[in-house]
Amino acid sequence: MRRRILGLGFVCAWLCAGSISLRAQEFKVFGRTVQVHGFASQGFVYTNDNNWLTMNTSQGSAAFTDFGLNTSYQVTDKLRVGAQGYDRNLGQLGQYHPSLDWAVADYRFKSWLGIRGGKVKTTLGLYTDTQDLDFLQAFALLPQSVYPTDLREATIAHLGGDIYGDISLKHRLGDLSYTAYAGHRSDSIYSGYPYYLSSFGARITSFGGLQYGADLRWRNPVKGLLIGASRLNEDITGRGSALNPFNLAAGLVPYSEASKADWANQFYGRYTVGRLRIESEYRRYWRNQDLFNGTSESFADVHGWYVSGAYRICKRLQIGSYYSRYTITNTVAGALAAFYPPATDTSLPDNHDYDKVITGRVDLNKFWNVKIEGHFMNGYGSGPYPNGFYTQVNPQGFSPNTNALVLKTSLNF
Amino acid sequence: MMNHRLFPLVAVVMMFGSVPTVAGEFKLIANSSVKADSISTGELKKVFLEEKNALHDGTHVEPVLEKGGPAHQAFLRECLGSTDDDLQTYYRVLVFTGKGSMPKELGSDAEIVAYVAKTRGAIGYVSAEASAEGVKTLAIEDVRNGVERKLITRVEPAYPETLKRLNIGGTVRLQLTVAPKGNIESVQLLGGNPILAEAAVAAVKQWMYTPSHSRTTAEVSIPFDPKR
Repeated sequence: MRRRILGLGFVCAWLCAGSISLRAQEFKVFGRTVQVHGFASQGFVYTNDNNWLTMNTSQGSAAFTDFGLNTSYQVTDKLRVGAQGYDRNLGQLGQYHPSLDWAVADYRFKSWLGIRGGKVKTTLGLYTDTQDLDFLQAFALLPQSVYPTDLREATIAHLGGDIYGDISLKHRLGDLSYTAYAGHRSDSIYSGYPYYLSSFGARITSFGGLQYGADLRWRNPVKGLLIGASRLNEDITGRGSALNPFNLAAGLVPYSEASKADWANQFYGRYTVGRLRIESEYRRYWRNQDLFNGTSESFADVHGWYVSGAYRICKRLQIGSYYSRYTITNTVAGALAAFYPPATDTSLPDNHDYDKVITGRVDLNKFWNVKIEGHFMNGYGSGPYPNGFYTQVNPQGFSPNTNALVLKTSLNF
Repeated sequence: MMNHRLFPLVAVVMMFGSVPTVAGEFKLIANSSVKADSISTGELKKVFLEEKNALHDGTHVEPVLEKGGPAHQAFLRECLGSTDDDLQTYYRVLVFTGKGSMPKELGSDAEIVAYVAKTRGAIGYVSAEASAEGVKTLAIEDVRNGVERKLITRVEPAYPETLKRLNIGGTVRLQLTVAPKGNIESVQLLGGNPILAEAAVAAVKQWMYTPSHSRTTAEVSIPFDPKR
């Protein structure tokens, strides 16, 4: 509790100070510039019914805070190094345990070939690598069907490397940007999936594994149009302890789960014309894994897509709306099948979450914005893989519809 | 007292000098370490989007931006096809994901010229009327049909003495049709002072590009700075 109060106090003080003076810091080391930048956001969420995103939102919750600070240094003309620390508290998640968000050495040989290594932000669709950066988005919450904020650790970064570049196509066919990556994903034990497993009495002590994939995006000759595709493969193992469902009296026993097949495909497009920006993305996530030390196996199939539009009315005011659709099906085979009947009917609220959203963003100045957003959700998609709604904070059960009011403010420098 | 023989000339300059030309609103400047005399819009865009940190000839470059003003707006519109908000968002994505850094931003033409003059590889833009003392001015080539051809022979235009004496400068925009062999087939004036344009056209007709299998067009901006 003390950590929360301290963290919240720090952010509030920063938000207040921000209106007085806020600027990026720059200084020289060996004749080259070191830059320091940072950001912070504070949100408040109220829902008319189900508690959402692990917060006690039906009472109104401000446990929605994050902040980060980075520095970068151009070592030589082609070599740059940098790192960013990040911390957040989202209901039961994060809990102000700071993490190294990214720390990279980046060497660019040519425009068409560069490498970066260290802890690198993962390129997956339009927003995976920028999902924490509230000040860049029109919306207070990105479409949760594709960018579930409670599961950010699943895709946010990998300890490994990227190969990337930009290629200009002949005959005015536009530009291609590519990224190929491989590394190790390591989830915080304060992230969404370990929290979800805790509802079954599991205590996860480590969760992570190999992650590799690629992204290709095309800025094509139609002015303002970007289209792209991403692929992600994973081989993830989780370890810890759990209650044995067949013998509860035995207490906690060693628990493990491991990927048999784990991948995501994502397709996306963005069209910007004047002050209007239209975007759409589709992600399919397939997960087949051994559960409970190989005694069972689960098959989860997640489909998420959204269409969004944002319009800047004037320099200070932007409005937007999106429709986000999430469905999940799941079957379990083996010893645990008796506990988990097949969930294949996506028309049931337990297996979907349809979210209609309207938002307004006011830019108080170049560095500080305030957003107000309404969510009108049908379904709670609380099935075998979490999507914002957790049984631990909804012990009374779920209602099929949830309306949410989100207020958020963020700063950056 | 102005020489009376110059009146008709000045009248012509006054009449045509105000013809709005986009490139006439700014000029591109670079540190003397930059070897190139011209740069294509495609390459320029990559430099300012931090997709490139060296030109095709291997020279290291780094972009410098102006914080606002007509030259900044014209540069964004004509060379980057972007708004200031979109460009700032783009740079912030780079900065906060570890994929780039914020380029140097300065508040006035004088500050940019001073910074570019002392910083190896710096490329920036200033208003067309700004002094370019201590820096070199780069021509901008707009390659129209996607085939980038390198300029291998460049002849500088002769500055008309009278205009120089009267401190009259500006930027001339020309569209060139380049023959497959690399010579200039034809030149079309897109904008700029007609007297400066005459000198510019005479010079570019002597330019040579690398050969290509087809005829290409390129748009070039040629600055005339009376203080240089």
